[in-house]
Amino acid sequence: MTDLASAPPLAEPDPDPAPGGGDGHGAPDGHGDDHGGGHHAMTGIDNRKLGMWAFLSSEFLFFGALITNYLLFKGRDFGPDALYPVELYDIPFTSISSFVLLMSSLTMVLAHSALSRDDQAQTRTWLFATAALGMVFVAGQFFEFTEFILEGLKLNVNPAASAFYMLTGFHGVHVVIGVLMLLILGGKSLRQGRLSEREGFNVELVGLYWHFVDIIWIVIFVLIYLIQ
Amino acid sequence: MADGAHHHPTPKQYVSVALVLAVLTALEVALFYLESGVEAVTQTITVPALLILSALKFYLVVAMFMHLRYERRLLSRFFTSGAILAGALYLITLSALGAVALF
Repeated sequence: MTDLASAPPLAEPDPDPAPGGGDGHGAPDGHGDDHGGGHHAMTGIDNRKLGMWAFLSSEFLFFGALITNYLLFKGRDFGPDALYPVELYDIPFTSISSFVLLMSSLTMVLAHSALSRDDQAQTRTWLFATAALGMVFVAGQFFEFTEFILEGLKLNVNPAASAFYMLTGFHGVHVVIGVLMLLILGGKSLRQGRLSEREGFNVELVGLYWHFVDIIWIVIFVLIYLIQ
Repeated sequence: MADGAHHHPTPKQYVSVALVLAVLTALEVALFYLESGVEAVTQTITVPALLILSALKFYLVVAMFMHLRYERRLLSRFFTSGAILAGALYLITLSALGAVALF
């Protein structure tokens, strides 16, 4: 048995940490870029950015569950008269929607790039362009849902239809939230003439969220639409 | 800006990545139509090809647009392990429920 009394004591927080030594208030590696008042964790990464990456990682579980749910019901037989989403897919239309969302990732990263050069006008333009492309994607999804419902594929006709609407609907909700965040940032930029350092950092965070929504669609497009 | 922002790609490089993404998407759609129209092209060819193409697109967006390639390793490990664990969990679930044959 280990003698607990002789075991070395557990490490205690340093009451007087060295400057830049990873005390949670400064960049331990001397980067010193604290993004408009943001605090760096001991990792040297801004806490808000770390939080966003943690959130996005957890979103894998959320969308993973919805995709799994759809795949489970995709091949099931719900009777001779049952209508399945796969019978109604309009691949050319969805391909164009996918392309639009993919290009919105380009405009988003160009907004971030313009901001890093302190080109406020271009940042604003690319933010609004990204929001516009997001709205086109959502409008396309709305059109697709309307078409499906008119064909008789309502939310509750069978579990495959419910799973399809849940998955693509929740993705659409994520896009709408992204569009709202982009419009808020674009609006602030328009009203103030320029984004503050803190708001500028928010562009990066919203960008991460937006690209994540895009990669989820990359997976949905192949697993749900193209692999039948 | 991200730590190490001076390493980030230029706008031209971003446009090049977007072009590659567009080509990969076009290839995916082409594969879908090949499977529907050409008898010799079966799902044993298209399914792995589609999965590889989408994985490539996924990587390009995460590495280049989300700058994970230029970030600290901790972030990429964090994100990659989350994605792999979630993928494995749901693959096992699908296999257990008979929707996917793993073995």
